[in-house]
Amino acid sequence: MSVTPETPVLELRGMTKRFPGVLANDHVDFDLKRGEVHALLGENGAGKSTLMNVLYGLYHPDEGEILVNGEPVRIHSPREAIDRGIGMVHQHFMLIPVMTVAENIVLAAEPTHAGVFLDLDEAVDKVEELSRAFNFRIDPHAKVRDITVGQQQRVEILKALFRGADILILDEPTAVLTPQEADELFGILKTLQREGMSIIFISHKLREVLEIADRITVLRRGKKIETVPREGATEAGLARLMVGRDVLLRVDKSPPHPGEVLLDVDALSVLDDRELEAVKGISLKVHEGEIVGIAGVDGNGQTELIDALTGLRPAQSGRVTVGGRDVTNESAREHLDEGLGHIPQDRLRHGLVLEFSLAENLALHDYRKEPNSRWGWLRPGRIISWARGLLQEFDVRGGGPQTHASSLSGGNQQKVVIAREVSRDPRVLIAAQPTRGLDVGAIEFVHRRLVEERDEGRAVLLISLEIDEVLSLSDRILVMYEGEIVAEFTPDVSEQELGIAMTGGGREEAEATATA
Amino acid sequence: MIDQAATRTYTWVKIIHPRSIAIAGIVVSALGFWFVLPPLTQRTILWPVALGFLGVAAGIWAVTRGERRLGWIAVGLGIASMGLGILATNSSVGHLDSVVVWSALFASMLRYATPLTYAAIGGMFSERSGVVNIALEGMMLSGAFFAILAAEKLDSWVLGVLAGAAAGAGLALIHAFFCIQLRSDQIVIGTAINFLALGLTGYLFVDVYGELGTPADIPRIPDVTLPAISDWYFIGPVLGQLNLMIWLSFVLLIVSYLVMFRTPIGLRIRSVGEHPRAADTVGISVYRTRYASVVTSGILAALGGAYLSIGFVGSFNENMTAGRGFIALAALIFGAWRPFGAFAAALLFGFSSALAQRLPEYSGSAATLFQALPYVLTLIAVAGVIGRSIPPAAIGRPYAKQ
Repeated sequence: MSVTPETPVLELRGMTKRFPGVLANDHVDFDLKRGEVHALLGENGAGKSTLMNVLYGLYHPDEGEILVNGEPVRIHSPREAIDRGIGMVHQHFMLIPVMTVAENIVLAAEPTHAGVFLDLDEAVDKVEELSRAFNFRIDPHAKVRDITVGQQQRVEILKALFRGADILILDEPTAVLTPQEADELFGILKTLQREGMSIIFISHKLREVLEIADRITVLRRGKKIETVPREGATEAGLARLMVGRDVLLRVDKSPPHPGEVLLDVDALSVLDDRELEAVKGISLKVHEGEIVGIAGVDGNGQTELIDALTGLRPAQSGRVTVGGRDVTNESAREHLDEGLGHIPQDRLRHGLVLEFSLAENLALHDYRKEPNSRWGWLRPGRIISWARGLLQEFDVRGGGPQTHASSLSGGNQQKVVIAREVSRDPRVLIAAQPTRGLDVGAIEFVHRRLVEERDEGRAVLLISLEIDEVLSLSDRILVMYEGEIVAEFTPDVSEQELGIAMTGGGREEAEATATA
Repeated sequence: MIDQAATRTYTWVKIIHPRSIAIAGIVVSALGFWFVLPPLTQRTILWPVALGFLGVAAGIWAVTRGERRLGWIAVGLGIASMGLGILATNSSVGHLDSVVVWSALFASMLRYATPLTYAAIGGMFSERSGVVNIALEGMMLSGAFFAILAAEKLDSWVLGVLAGAAAGAGLALIHAFFCIQLRSDQIVIGTAINFLALGLTGYLFVDVYGELGTPADIPRIPDVTLPAISDWYFIGPVLGQLNLMIWLSFVLLIVSYLVMFRTPIGLRIRSVGEHPRAADTVGISVYRTRYASVVTSGILAALGGAYLSIGFVGSFNENMTAGRGFIALAALIFGAWRPFGAFAAALLFGFSSALAQRLPEYSGSAATLFQALPYVLTLIAVAGVIGRSIPPAAIGRPYAKQ
């Protein structure tokens, strides 16, 4: 077969990959045309990353063939994938934090003096040349640990370009980015596309897929469902293909009935790890039966605020009151006992003990209380039967009370965290990025549950980087910028207006109103 | 005009930088003690106390301004200088003269430091690739034994050195197989190898040499005599007659620095030790890199052992390394996994050994105290009191391919 412009640069035929007990890819066909962005859409666990890891030589397929430029090839290792012009930007970056940008980019393809010594000057020149060509603005001498996540992602792209890739795989590239960084990434991808790069874009976010992709292939439970062109595709239609049923993309909720103030924060200031003031005298109130959303770009003091509200970080000054009792600088346990529930933003690091069973994770807060323990002794039987009930109520799939938390999918792990926090019947629920990394089905569940908790009369404080989420869930919206609340909106605010406030644009106005 | 003023301010700021003040504190403290020692032998405590006090003050000033490591060293040295200075002025001049012979101390320091240098640099290769190597001790010991065995039986120190290196490589291969292939716990395997080496060399030593010990006339690694410089003040007695292996250790130091930090090989070794998956995804074989690094470490540690038996001492006895492998590991950590850092630490530990060897004439308990110095300093370095030594990120963690 001769190579014509119509020949796909890449074709996968009947790819099948089995893991013990799981059919991760079931005879998947996929093709990539020259210069297109082809999105691979699916829920977590649908087999997107597995398929790409097979293509990149990290997994070996059980069946199926790979064709590059119409020619069948076998790819046994990343090295062979690189040699075929395939580059991959992994979801968790494959960068070495203590090394410089240039060192990371040239690793394993180093330019040398006399074939022996590293020629880092040449490496730096090449990096500068590439980053000029694509307008990346990256200092090749900077250590990777000192640059932002968005810049690290560009280093990953540069790594692939440096190795001469003409097929670029991006695995969930926006998962770690702020909305602005995501926009910049899309700009970069469009430039690359113009230069003739063919791009596979893995995602579970409908909106960004519709924004960037030329064609969209939907995977569900390891099977290819359909490939559709962007023209004519809709969010609702894609969601149906992805989940296999109709999905409620908008949250259905009644007007709030706010009652008394349950969480009262007064002039709170908090220092970050570098001992700089990250939260600068914030005051806010959350009433019984309302959801207050805090919108903001990552790194504007949200983490420090959450930590201080939950007793994980001391407050520099100010006061935090939960249900009328001052809990400022009390321990995390005091906060919990006063009726605070906390869905942490990083469930893997702060929400769950991955090596523990689900029952143990569910008992993590209330292990000292009946029926979980009596006279200082744990009662495993009671813990397990109690956990079984919770797992059922919260529809946690993929394991029973004695399954390790690490073996669950992200969505189900999050359900476990929510089950634990909600079952303690808290008066105040702090939900930090409750849907981070979740797929549409799980997001729907979490959103519905948060609204239900509000209707039960809890005060819910939602901190999220997703504008959509804040807009659709909140009854009131506060915008956090550089450690301060710079604006307050009702949920009918436009996305643009909210976005401007999040980048500090509305601050002067707000100050003007405050002084007037 | 304005430019000039700005430049002047800038230079001034650079001089009163915490780092330079801390270094000044270290120098001043050391000077204070040096004044009361031969050949100057000032018989007053004024010098060590006044200068030690200055050193402490400079150190505290630097510590409070962020230069923690050097600052604390200045403080520690200042206090030590006051204490030791007072001790020295209270002891007789005769005693001082017998202990403090600078050129002899320095030559002796090099002899004690060399086995540590080889093993520490060996350890650097292994640990930079992400494999903990507490088996340095065993590799050194087997290097020492098999070097003397082959040298004696084959009547050649060259073959002795080669045999020692081969023994070290063999043990390293076992270590690598368990740690890399079977993904066992690296500390447990390292400990097992240490015991294996101890038992094996002990058994063979008794079996081959019995109670008589190694013969006196074994072929030894020759000394390098430099008649041209032997008359030079101070340098002559220190460097004029040193073992070949000591000179080679200087070469090794430079070569290993170049390899680790100036070649693609070093970049790859370090990448495997920091983030093996990242290295894997760009096509570096993590297993092959680690195997090569661990075997290199075994060879180098064994060379240190070979120097000990057929270079330095000229004989072998059971467990003759006596913990030097662990001290080398301490030097590696104290030197922050860098060749020159590890070498500096090895020199410091070598100096304390040299001093400990001479001190018994003066005070037996003080000698023992100096032998504990490496461990105390390493504890301080690892605990992070004076600016933490940060290990490679993936050290001790076996890598499983997906």
